[in-house]
Amino acid sequence: MESWREARCVVAKVVGGNTGSKVRKKLALFFLIGWILLIIGDRVDELRVYQGAQIAMYTIALASIVLLTGYSGQVSLGNGAMMAVGGYAAALTLNNLQTPIWSAFMMAILVAALFGAFLGLAAARLSGPYLAGTTLALAVGLPAIANQFSFLGGEPGLLFDVGFPPERFGEDFTQYKWFFWIATFIALIALFVTSNILQSRFGRTWRAIRGNSLAAELSGINASQLKVLAFSVSSGLAGLAGAVLAMTISLVAPGAYTLALSFALVTGAVLAGISSLPGVVLGGFILVAIPEIADALASSLGSEDKLNSYLPGLIVSVLLILSVIYTPNGPGENLRKHFHKKSAH
Amino acid sequence: MQKALETLLIGLSTGSIYALMSLALVLVWRSTRVINFAQAGQAMFSTYIGFEIATRSQIFWLGLLFAIVAGALLGAGVDYFFMRVLFKHANSGPALVVAPVIATLGLLGLIRSIVGLTWGGEFKSLTAPASKNGFTFGEVTIPFSPLDSLTIITVAVILIILALLFQRTNLGLALRASAYSPEIAQLAGIRTARTRTIGWAIAGGVGGVAGMLVTSYNFLTPYSLDLLLVFGFIAAVIGGLESMVGAVIGALVLGIGLTIILNYVGTSLVFIGGFSVLLLVLLIKPDGIMARGKVRRG
Repeated sequence: MESWREARCVVAKVVGGNTGSKVRKKLALFFLIGWILLIIGDRVDELRVYQGAQIAMYTIALASIVLLTGYSGQVSLGNGAMMAVGGYAAALTLNNLQTPIWSAFMMAILVAALFGAFLGLAAARLSGPYLAGTTLALAVGLPAIANQFSFLGGEPGLLFDVGFPPERFGEDFTQYKWFFWIATFIALIALFVTSNILQSRFGRTWRAIRGNSLAAELSGINASQLKVLAFSVSSGLAGLAGAVLAMTISLVAPGAYTLALSFALVTGAVLAGISSLPGVVLGGFILVAIPEIADALASSLGSEDKLNSYLPGLIVSVLLILSVIYTPNGPGENLRKHFHKKSAH
Repeated sequence: MQKALETLLIGLSTGSIYALMSLALVLVWRSTRVINFAQAGQAMFSTYIGFEIATRSQIFWLGLLFAIVAGALLGAGVDYFFMRVLFKHANSGPALVVAPVIATLGLLGLIRSIVGLTWGGEFKSLTAPASKNGFTFGEVTIPFSPLDSLTIITVAVILIILALLFQRTNLGLALRASAYSPEIAQLAGIRTARTRTIGWAIAGGVGGVAGMLVTSYNFLTPYSLDLLLVFGFIAAVIGGLESMVGAVIGALVLGIGLTIILNYVGTSLVFIGGFSVLLLVLLIKPDGIMARGKVRRG
């Protein structure tokens, strides 16, 4: 009886249904952010609108890394693979069952979370190197697996078409803006739910496990179960991000979910501060900005093919290495330390 | 019967290449407690060096020698200029556990982009040191080729050298001691930091050989060694990550297993097979086949 009541409280808190004033304030904040974003979306040109949708997609994917690595202390290098699972699940649902779009996205979350739970049972209860290696193996191999099966469409992949924007929005309402609206809406919901999860009992216990797994178990926490749960929730989020990615490029193909994507996501998460949820928005901006900067650099250095294909990777890895050495806990912590020192003197 | 024998032989030659990669990973893991994902990058860089030398001089073995030297230098350099700096800086906060892994990932990306910017992404092919066509007995040609046997011999020679180094020399003793317990080794007068760098160098050289051998079967691209890294890791996990003998046995088992899948089931299931082996080992015997009821460290 007691545990049932507790469980209901947690659920209420996670979905924001409980009337805690903190959660209500947060909900209002998210509405405000969403409204501002929609206004901005009306004022900028097509390319920026499209990039806005990409930022929203990266934001979800980075939130999944922050939840896993920053909170529960596990390293996954295979977020790109989880995104692929979500993308394919969404495309198969939409193409074969002709259901509404939202159900495809729900399916992406569900299938990726189940997949994550299955994988987590094997690997997540083990310590760092095993999980890191297993997920890396997945990121390397999954695109190749998708190539082999005909119902997954092989190399060209599957179409994923969310359709034209509703007519009542008028003729000026472009396809990209429709993508932007959907992606932003999903990202806001995902971030709202994630931030609630992280502030719930689960978030606290995850942090306890990360801090000292032995001490956490001594206080009665089932560490391995909660780790698998963290991995599963994180995979669900990644799957959702994968479906949003599929929407923005209108198809699901092995080439969209490469190892490079997984690497870029880890970089974004580390750059923005691996344990800060608000940081993921910054991370999303950086990940969208890097290819632009690399393009500009490449064209000013001469337009060789090599430069175009390897300069973004070079920038990403240099940033990753520098940030992991000098600001391993994110730029936020360095600033805090800096001010701390100042006030001490 | 004949097919079974062929499968076994080809499995051995595939597995022996995995053994080198898996040894490189285990060597670094034992001394540094990091799975060095950059090993694929280091091996790739050394293979490109070896490729250049082998193509210019038309001598495969000269290329192999240069690949070993380049791999060893790069490995030592990575430890000296990179891991030491990393451990000095990233030593607190939530990132402590994840920083080394992420750093080796960044290094893999860095080496890949540098190689890509230098050599481009084209498929390069290396002239193999022996024929890839199978041996012929009378009328019958089997898939097992002179190149396969040469691979097995090369790996065997390297394994013997490593075994002698680790069992019979002072350096080997120092390497084993500082892997087993760095503090006690240090108290016994071993310069553990230097020993660790030497361990990274050995791992780098071994990785270079693995890269050259794989490349004599396949093309070389900035991505061509990723799968070798994955299978090397799976082999190391089968062997329990700690044991060098286990890594070699794990690699041979994996090589033979994957060749069985390849010959009897089909190409499409090879990766899934390898991945299932990994999951099975993690579920059933997470300490690896060499574990003796010992609690896993780290």
